Amino acid sequence: MSEVIVITSGKGGVGKTTTTANVGTGLAQLDKKVVLIDTDIGLRNLDVVMGLENRIVYNLVDVVEGNCRMKQALIKDKRYPNLSLLPSAQTRDKSAVSPGQMVKLIDSLREDFDYILLDCPAGIEQGFKNAIAGADRALVVTTPEVSAIRDADRIIGLLGANEVRQTDLIVNRLRMDMVKRGDMMNINDVTDILAINLIGAIPDDEQIVISTNQGEPLVGTDCLAGKAFANICHRILGENVPLLDLEIKSNLWGKFKDIFKKN
Amino acid sequence: MSTPVVLKSNRYGINLILDSEMGFDELLGCIAKRFQESAGFFKDARLAVSFEGRELTQEEEFRIVEAITDNSSIEVICILDNDILREEMIRQKIEQFEEEQSGRTGEFYKGTLRSGQVLDCESSIVILGDINPGAKIISKGNIVVLGALKGNAYAGASGNCQAFVAALEMDPIQIRIGDIIGRSADRTASDRTLLGKKRGKKKQEAAEPQVAIVKDGNIYIEPITKGLLNSI
Repeated sequence: MSEVIVITSGKGGVGKTTTTANVGTGLAQLDKKVVLIDTDIGLRNLDVVMGLENRIVYNLVDVVEGNCRMKQALIKDKRYPNLSLLPSAQTRDKSAVSPGQMVKLIDSLREDFDYILLDCPAGIEQGFKNAIAGADRALVVTTPEVSAIRDADRIIGLLGANEVRQTDLIVNRLRMDMVKRGDMMNINDVTDILAINLIGAIPDDEQIVISTNQGEPLVGTDCLAGKAFANICHRILGENVPLLDLEIKSNLWGKFKDIFKKN
Repeated sequence: MSTPVVLKSNRYGINLILDSEMGFDELLGCIAKRFQESAGFFKDARLAVSFEGRELTQEEEFRIVEAITDNSSIEVICILDNDILREEMIRQKIEQFEEEQSGRTGEFYKGTLRSGQVLDCESSIVILGDINPGAKIISKGNIVVLGALKGNAYAGASGNCQAFVAALEMDPIQIRIGDIIGRSADRTASDRTLLGKKRGKKKQEAAEPQVAIVKDGNIYIEPITKGLLNSI
């Protein structure tokens, strides 16, 4: 039975698309059949991050409107044959598709894939409603910033109201040096506020920017972010993997500071 | 019959349903009046015309067409019989006519097409500006970009593989000519510094105008040379 996972955040720019690309690629590396669906109609970029932009002929809206068959619109990844992408339309807007149509579209893919990942647009309007309509499970991406966490909290509430049965949290763009200095919230602060299961924490890594520009997800590579994404994939499969040690060795002064912070 | 002339549109133009009893000259007057009234609606449409409800001699048909063109700016391409075989032939003629037109005439567009914008034209098009990634230019004829083509271009959209796409700076994501699609090469891991490298390269050798054409079922992009232009 396939699992439909929506990657969402509420706030824009926290890393939904990057997470979708990397988790999708990571699951494909684990020999799962995966399809990524870009639901950000009008502002698509999952295809760019995956480096598949030049292959697009048909898109999600074409499938929904019956201009083509699903098979024609699905793009095979250039590295993993068991990974496909259904790109979104660039020249339309969110109202081109309804939640009901999304559910139907997702159901038609369930047979052929183990994991269906939906890259959700920012916001809580039609695009968000389309993306979560068919989802069994959600990954909420946030950064350790109050604004992103506020939005994530709202999203978690909306997901609950829409009967998504499991919601997990990804804390993205952690900067351990700043956490150490007490200038950034740490993972525990975030999970205290949001009170849902943490499925992974990803350090801020310049390799991410490079890989995104290049159109090659970095999951599985040696850098910390690559490892963190690979671990998330294992946890999605239900394996128990300990959290990566992102800590930089703390000195005595840092420890003092921590103590005072807590009081 | 309350109205002596009824206009009905079909795929290629309009069908005139005529009163069968009225005297021809009186009818002609009604037709003229009818088209005068709807001249604004048809503007300078190019149509095929067919008749129904009355036997007409060839001369009468011509007089009616004359009445139509005199009283509106409609261009009547041909007169249709209500006959399927002929209709098919005429459809081909019209499409051929349109295709010839689209190759020969052109439009101008000044401005940059940005991501998500689509410019769709019936004829060939010259663009004074760039086509950015995510933007699309579609033409039934040829496409000439006086700027950088970095998005998608679709020439010969009615299936004409003889069409071409030319650009001062050719860096498209996809080019489609007729029903043949060509996509840009994938970036390999070896051009790690892709952004820097590309820019550096362009500074060294100024971007060269290139043209994309179909050869043996594939799309080729080549520098514009006299020999090549003659072969198009």
